[in-house]
Amino acid sequence: MESRGRLFGKNVLEGVFRAGPDEDLFLGELLVAVDEATGRRYLFRIVDVTYGSEHREPGWAERVAGTLLADDDRGDDGAHRLYEQARRTYRVATCRCLGYLTPDGLEFRKPKSLPTQFSRVVAPEPADFAFLRTRMGDLPIGNLRSGETVVDFEVGIPGDSLATHVGIFATTGMGKSNLMMVLAGGVMRAQGRYGLLLVDPHGEYRTQLARHPWAAGRLRTYSARALPNTSTLRVGLGELTVDDLRTAYDWSRPQEEALFELERHYSRGGGEGLSWLLEFSTVEDLPGFRDVELSSRVALNTLQVVHRRARRIVELPCVAADAHVSVGSAVLRDLREGKVVLIDVSGLGSTEEVLVASFLTRKVLDEWSAAYLDQPEVHERLPVVAIVLEEAQRVLSANKDKESNVFPRVAREGRKFKVGLCAVTQQPKLLDGELLSQFNTFFILGLADEKDRTILRSSSKQDISALGPEIQTLMPGECLVANLHAPFAVPAKVHLWSQVVRDCPPPPAPRPVVPPNVAALVD
Amino acid sequence: MATASLAVAAERLAVLLTGGGRALSDPTNTDLVFEAAIAPRPLARAAAPDEVWAVDGGQALVADARCLQLVVTRAARVRFRDGECVEYEGELQARLVGCGEERAVAADLGLDIRPDAAVDLNLLRDREEWVAVEQCVAEAERGAVVLVDGDLVPDWRIPSRWLKGLLERAAAAGVTLVGVTKRSSLARGGAPLLGQLELEAEAALGPRSMWWTPVARTRPDVDVPGGGAGIQVVAARLDPDARFAFRVDLPGDADAEQVLSALAGLSDDAAFPGYPYPLTVADRLAACPGWLRDEAWLEVEGHFDRVGVPYDVRERAFADRHGLMERF
Repeated sequence: MESRGRLFGKNVLEGVFRAGPDEDLFLGELLVAVDEATGRRYLFRIVDVTYGSEHREPGWAERVAGTLLADDDRGDDGAHRLYEQARRTYRVATCRCLGYLTPDGLEFRKPKSLPTQFSRVVAPEPADFAFLRTRMGDLPIGNLRSGETVVDFEVGIPGDSLATHVGIFATTGMGKSNLMMVLAGGVMRAQGRYGLLLVDPHGEYRTQLARHPWAAGRLRTYSARALPNTSTLRVGLGELTVDDLRTAYDWSRPQEEALFELERHYSRGGGEGLSWLLEFSTVEDLPGFRDVELSSRVALNTLQVVHRRARRIVELPCVAADAHVSVGSAVLRDLREGKVVLIDVSGLGSTEEVLVASFLTRKVLDEWSAAYLDQPEVHERLPVVAIVLEEAQRVLSANKDKESNVFPRVAREGRKFKVGLCAVTQQPKLLDGELLSQFNTFFILGLADEKDRTILRSSSKQDISALGPEIQTLMPGECLVANLHAPFAVPAKVHLWSQVVRDCPPPPAPRPVVPPNVAALVD
Repeated sequence: MATASLAVAAERLAVLLTGGGRALSDPTNTDLVFEAAIAPRPLARAAAPDEVWAVDGGQALVADARCLQLVVTRAARVRFRDGECVEYEGELQARLVGCGEERAVAADLGLDIRPDAAVDLNLLRDREEWVAVEQCVAEAERGAVVLVDGDLVPDWRIPSRWLKGLLERAAAAGVTLVGVTKRSSLARGGAPLLGQLELEAEAALGPRSMWWTPVARTRPDVDVPGGGAGIQVVAARLDPDARFAFRVDLPGDADAEQVLSALAGLSDDAAFPGYPYPLTVADRLAACPGWLRDEAWLEVEGHFDRVGVPYDVRERAFADRHGLMERF
């Protein structure tokens, strides 16, 4: 077993080992300290690598560099050398101790003791990760990564953890969309155990997800535009609520009061939901309407704003006056069947997209919570559903946490109903800290902003306080998976979607159905 | 009585440093016969010797009862060959000095040291170094160089006949002894000679020149058989980027320029340009840092425990009473 170094210092939770001057050590690399005395194998993660030297004089290394630099400047490369560099210089790796494997290799325990000083540090063997196998769940996302090395060991999350909310955090180009598709692919292959409601504002998933071999039976796409192989997205006005409006749009206090006045006014007619918007949008004489119908309880300019928005909403192609054409029920049915439901809202504005997402999320939460409360045996059979929110900071920021907003409600209450959020954002720092703490699973991809990393550190279910440099240096497709199932933040290389599609076996043939014996029914 | 003011001392110091006096001297060694003219001359770098040994000594005062001291010394040896050093750390030698204990120590030192010689840390360390040098000479292959940290003039209590014998054995074995002194007391007109030579050489030969110059010859009583004149003392800058020139002692009959050129061949370490690399290793190896002193004292205390030396007896013997006074 080739030695990568020798452990020499620090404490129970941290380790420092010395390695040769040429030892290629990477941030995030997983290594094992072999404690010969106890038979334990301590798993370490490198969090920093520095230079070391046998020479204790201050400035020794700078002096050497200066001498060599001066040679370079003179074009006199080789004028000086460093005798016995391998003996005089070395590397020092600072590590976090992740825990240790018991001598029988069966149990992985959190660190509570020090490995013997000067223990040999070696590369991990496949058996060292065997304990992870049972904790990686049934939604694979990639392979274990040790520094720059991709280990032949698949990692993922349990699908049930979708109910305890998932966060996907990365700056642009780091692989959020790819990861999202890989997760969706896992849900498609989960045989209906999980459902995924994916609201896609950019239309980037439609063609990609359709390539999955299981898409025919497990993917349902609704689109606000007329697109091939999609169902038409229609939201009935009668199914929308004032709360949906309050979630999607920024309303001033007087405007909200105006909404309630209008709702009260039109409710006398017996209309459902926001069906009154249609009639209100046709009002031509707003001053007269205000004076007569609302008894001047709403300022005219406030009413004009609400009116403008009402007209815009009723004119949306995805909004229908007829509640019967609404897709709400169809989406619920698809999710009950454990499908991936893709809502392609490309072409809609950001607020309208939130309006649709709010509507569907409320539908799902109402349906699942009703089952939980009234029909426990039905709820038991319902799949865990996750609602994917792109640019989640739009609805999960601190100033959005209103009573009317369904998304914080899902974050707080959804778990017991088996409804979770999957928040995708480039700026986790904009999310409400208290809501973020409800998220039990983090997928952390490359994040350049220190503030983003800081808020994740404080909310993560695993200690990632020392992983700032590693997160900063993650390459596209590399991520850390922090949840309660793995004993530490697991470094992973996310599968490429194209590879997932290529490697995925075809879906099993549908179970043959015995034709009904009609004759038996005939007397 | 005149006041010895700092201003007066500084004035005198300025005169000595810049006075331009030409008289050469070495306050620590009156046996030197100085060259009539000293002028740095260019030195070319040659291939390093195939085998080089280096010796350096270290010392530490482990316990100090003022009248009685426990000291440790050691001499480290390094064999440099094919670009790599083999290190011999040297066994720690612990001795008691004071209250007459040094008599027994002196009788045991060897090297023809008189039994009634005054014994102190300097002698003990020097003795270890020269024993190590002797060992190197015995083990070195023909053509090797043995480097000593310091000059080739042992402590005055080590008789010159012993050094003569060593030089003879070295010459017979084809081994060259070389002493390299980092801090030399050589002076010219009351100012440090090497600093003056460094400035003169830079002016005459250029800032990145390697140079050497004969300075003196010494100790006719250690003539090497077959010619020569004892030990020759030279000054040399062994690398173009060396911050300092050093005093180098060589056997009197050695071809100084040739030896120095070869020495320059292993003085190109980027960390210490101008200083032979094996000596830097020996220096590090021989050092007796604080932790080593502490470990030695712990061992002594363990022995005290076993033989039942009361703690307060130890405390009163070795307590630093300066420290106690300052504490209150």
